[in-house]
Amino acid sequence: MSDALISSRGKPSASRYDAIVIGGGHNGLVCAAYLAKAGRTVLVLERRHVLGGAAVSEEVFPGFTFSVCSYVVSLFRPHIIRELELVRHGFHVIPLDCSLSPLPDGRSLARWGDKARTRRELAAFSPRDAERYPEFGLAMTKLARFSKNVIDAPAPEPTSLSPRELLRVLRLGRGFQQLEPELRYLNAKLLTMSAADFLDEWFESDVLKAPMAVSGIIGTFLGVRSPGTAYVLLHHYMGEIDGAFRAWGFSKGGTGSVSNAIAAAARSYGVEIVAEAPVERVRMQGGRATGVVLEGGDELSARVVVSAVDPHRTFFGLVGEDRLDPAFVAQARRYKLRGSSGKVNLAVDRLPEFACRPGAGPHLEGDIAIAPSLEYLERAYDQAKAGEFSRRPYLNVVIPSLVDPTVAPPGKHVISCFVQYAPYQLAGGPQGWPEQREAFGDAVVDTLAEHVPGLKESILHRQVLTPWDLEQQFGLTEGNIFHGELSLEQLLFMRPVAGWADYRTPVRDLWMCASGTHPGGGIMGAPGELAAKAMLGARSV
Amino acid sequence: MSRAYDAIVVGAGHNGLTTAALLAKAGRKVLVLERREHPGGLAASEEFHPGYRSAGLLGDTGLVRPSVIAALDLPRHGLRLHEAPPTVLALGDGSHEPIAIHGRLERAAEAIARISPRDGQQYRELAALMQRLAPAVRELLGRHPLDLVDLESERVWDLGKRALRLRRLGRDDLRELLRLPPMSVAEVLGERFETERLRAALCLPALLGTFGGPEQPGNMLELMRLWCLRGPGVLGGGPMLVAALRAAAQAAGVELRTGAAVTGLRVGTEGIDGVRLEDGETIDARLVAASCSPRLTLEELLPAGLLPQRLEHRIHCFRSRGRVAVVHLALRRPPRFAGEPAEFARTGEHVTAIERAFDATKYDELPAEPALELHLATEGDPGRAPEGHAVLSATVYFVPTRPRDGWTDGLRERLGDAVVRLLARHDAGLPEAVVAREVLTPADLESRYGIPGGHLFHGEHGLDQLMFRPTPECIHYATPLPGLWLCGSGSHPGGGLSCAPGELAAQAILASS
Repeated sequence: MSDALISSRGKPSASRYDAIVIGGGHNGLVCAAYLAKAGRTVLVLERRHVLGGAAVSEEVFPGFTFSVCSYVVSLFRPHIIRELELVRHGFHVIPLDCSLSPLPDGRSLARWGDKARTRRELAAFSPRDAERYPEFGLAMTKLARFSKNVIDAPAPEPTSLSPRELLRVLRLGRGFQQLEPELRYLNAKLLTMSAADFLDEWFESDVLKAPMAVSGIIGTFLGVRSPGTAYVLLHHYMGEIDGAFRAWGFSKGGTGSVSNAIAAAARSYGVEIVAEAPVERVRMQGGRATGVVLEGGDELSARVVVSAVDPHRTFFGLVGEDRLDPAFVAQARRYKLRGSSGKVNLAVDRLPEFACRPGAGPHLEGDIAIAPSLEYLERAYDQAKAGEFSRRPYLNVVIPSLVDPTVAPPGKHVISCFVQYAPYQLAGGPQGWPEQREAFGDAVVDTLAEHVPGLKESILHRQVLTPWDLEQQFGLTEGNIFHGELSLEQLLFMRPVAGWADYRTPVRDLWMCASGTHPGGGIMGAPGELAAKAMLGARSV
Repeated sequence: MSRAYDAIVVGAGHNGLTTAALLAKAGRKVLVLERREHPGGLAASEEFHPGYRSAGLLGDTGLVRPSVIAALDLPRHGLRLHEAPPTVLALGDGSHEPIAIHGRLERAAEAIARISPRDGQQYRELAALMQRLAPAVRELLGRHPLDLVDLESERVWDLGKRALRLRRLGRDDLRELLRLPPMSVAEVLGERFETERLRAALCLPALLGTFGGPEQPGNMLELMRLWCLRGPGVLGGGPMLVAALRAAAQAAGVELRTGAAVTGLRVGTEGIDGVRLEDGETIDARLVAASCSPRLTLEELLPAGLLPQRLEHRIHCFRSRGRVAVVHLALRRPPRFAGEPAEFARTGEHVTAIERAFDATKYDELPAEPALELHLATEGDPGRAPEGHAVLSATVYFVPTRPRDGWTDGLRERLGDAVVRLLARHDAGLPEAVVAREVLTPADLESRYGIPGGHLFHGEHGLDQLMFRPTPECIHYATPLPGLWLCGSGSHPGGGLSCAPGELAAQAILASS
């Protein structure tokens, strides 16, 4: 994190702005950039010493830089990259070319950007699946194009009678109508089925289904057999870098560089960014937000206040229950955050060697899924339901130092392990996490070591982030990486609360712009952009 | 060309009889063919031990459609309705006084309020919400299905009209209508109720049709369906419903042949024009309406290669993983559960325990502690057992469809023992009162009733399988094969004793000719 991006620490230069954005995560920064680009004076207040929120790079151990939380980029909206000229400000994503799934029996499946190669690999497990895989990809890509319309526009509100909303609903309906009938059926199934059931209809081999199914459970407290998990499969076909579908990538310098690029763009439009400036609460007068009160008592005024923190923290922290309508409070309380994942970052003194494919090679340069079977994943989920972390969790492992040598000293590497399930609510309560942190880290290392025999000896440092840590350090309530579960009843016009999906809140001039709003979490930038456009469109700022 | 019959209905379950009776009332010549020796299908009473008869497998008769009762004039054929929905005892694990969930809302709310005033109030509010949502749910499930795949302009107009009617709910209720269905019963009941065994008892019936425990997203729609559409129920239960349907069918001129197993459908130049029976006999008809499961109809009764490949695949993918067993107990005396006597009761103390029970079945294992839905068959009709004796049927939530080593006699007995042991917690002397028992595993249900996977609804009530039941090609009861129609629980709006698929199929058949 370059200090140049932060104007000052804790001290804003003025006392009055058009907009104050609380939280310097990627959505807060995107929102600020759009507002400033439209000529507004904007201040971003970040509680921590670094920008990025959960999209952050930090040199946790000397010489080793980690994408501490979020670790791959795919859904970032291309038009935001264009409109904010992010490439000029350092946005650079290196595509992942391979998805590797090692099996306990020493075999493995690698899926490549090269279709013929994937087909050969798959055929070793199932010729039928090898045949169907491209078909599946084609269908999903078509559906992803339809879904793109949903994530690139504000959520339509079907309960409203206003002509504008009706038009939005109709437009969406028209898009649906224009899909081929077969795809309409698939689309409806995707929205309602479980990832496992959906994939069962297409494929027979577990080695393929399991790593595909996991995209449906990431960030949710659901299993691969829970209905509603299928549609996230689409996200994997929505990832687009330079317009190419189905591409995920690393951000050069770690995920934090994405945030830094947005911050640089924002500053170029005149946004003022202040770090180490924790906001205590939203200042209100006559039921409307008029500014913020910083910890320490300093007050700042603004025409609008924009919260880039999660809905729970916004309503129950920054605003306070007593200043909200009880009926709204009851609704907001029902919003599910239920964090279910953790992160283990390892600094190692050599390249990890996988038993299934020894030696270095391009197979390690993509993501590696420890998800050998659907049953393995379902059992991991069952443990989490019982209030324990999975002893054999699903891991999504990446080794960014292989494609981006800037993040580790020569010859050494960083390994990032996304871990699910790690339920925030342990059987004995979340405060039990600090005591279980190391055991959790051990379970993760043990799981990975089953596939990487020399792993344990190669570890120089390890950073274990439990959902509790994600909450304490990154302000993610219950450690939910998406600011709230992406379950059907919390999407679209119901995110975060039915009737308040248009980035507004019951507090006038207080807006929301982060993952807790439509279209949800992941490094997309879409909520930030849509919120800014909504505010500007309503001439609220 | 003249044929012997206008229509042959395959299967004399409640839906088959409904379709047959409605077609005959409209002047068609109809023959119903039933493989077993008696009509009724899953609703039929069966003598499982000399002198002891069950009340069938489906205890809930509250969903029978008033329009069917009226159209077939069922009261004239002996159907009597209760005055109020039945009372269900929430037994918990036997360590507390049971909660009587009365069929009458106010009495139920009072009984619940005695345990927890908050829950009593919540029960009133939830019931009121469901009452307000009922017209909308009826709109979605009571009429022909919305076709989201085949969007011709005319249907889009119809869709729009239906959407406008939903708007009458008002904004808040409309939001609930859209918010609740994808949720899990555990969540929704957890949002409202604090008494564990009340939650456990309320969630159970929603789990009969879906695949998953109480925490499975999407099963709230099942609970909404039950709460919104349930009426007072039929005196004497499923067997009396079947008797009335049969009488109405015969009065309308339907011919019924039992012991007549259809083993194939005959394919003529214009489509399906008859059936072939086990003994080789063939019968001609202008059309065949199959009330057996879609999979049985399209996979086993049809010659291979006749269906479009895509439909074949979709039928193959129609999920029907049965996860309940039924245990019929012949008892020397009625059970002595605490609390007031009732025809229905449910065990289970915790929603999470029920979830665990389902989890075991995912790995093809028997759960440590299943929950039971109990139906005292002799309460509805004392004649089902010798004087003073009783018949108690338990639906066991959950068992694996196919355990790792298959359903052996040993395992079947273990399951029976487990059920009796569970019941002993609520009536210590019950094990000694058992005269005989019959354990029906999903495999038994499959082979006896011809239901794939032993699923009592002919296929799971997953959201997708309710929207396109059983497949987009067949949601309007017609199949791509001219002359072949579907009219059973595998069609919209699904399983249970509603007679709705039978009625809607008959309407579709009549509208097409």
